[in-house]
Amino acid sequence: MNDFISGMTSALCCVAGLFFLRFWRKTRDRFFAFFATSFLLMAVHRMVSLYLRDDSEHLLTAYVIRLLTFVLILVAIVDKNRGTPRKKDSSPPRPVDSVR
Amino acid sequence: MAEAVFVLCAVTSLACAVLLLRGYARNRVPLLLWSSLCFVGLAVNNMLLVVDLIIIPGRDLLLLRNLSALLSLALLIFGLVWDSE
Repeated sequence: MNDFISGMTSALCCVAGLFFLRFWRKTRDRFFAFFATSFLLMAVHRMVSLYLRDDSEHLLTAYVIRLLTFVLILVAIVDKNRGTPRKKDSSPPRPVDSVR
Repeated sequence: MAEAVFVLCAVTSLACAVLLLRGYARNRVPLLLWSSLCFVGLAVNNMLLVVDLIIIPGRDLLLLRNLSALLSLALLIFGLVWDSE
């Protein structure tokens, strides 16, 4: 059951990553690129932790990937608040002006 | 070392949730709301991880942890499908 739920979560991470990748293609806003990378890394984290679940010595690697995903989101927010917004097109999805 | 990474995961995910919620309060962009709700769930997931592996190691909260992560991502995907068009 846990493997099934984890697999579903991993697939949803990939879907979210692809959505943000599409937003990035549309707006060229780096904020979405960071989000896409983060969610795709979350999927990688799930796969790595499943692969390493019996190897407690190396399981830390999986959790470092997980930490990296959250750090990427923080970087996206800081980058958004500091940098000038890069946008080509203002059609939906609405670009995020600032996150603070 | 592992404990530090678990705690850092919880702290950073909570920071993401708070910053995204503040961003939503300021800009009212629906995408920020769905993202912040997702990160609130992921923060809960990481706190459960800390409780499960550091505070009360005897109790197995794996199902609860997996369910919280699934719910968070499902909420985000719902928001992305519902609000992005």
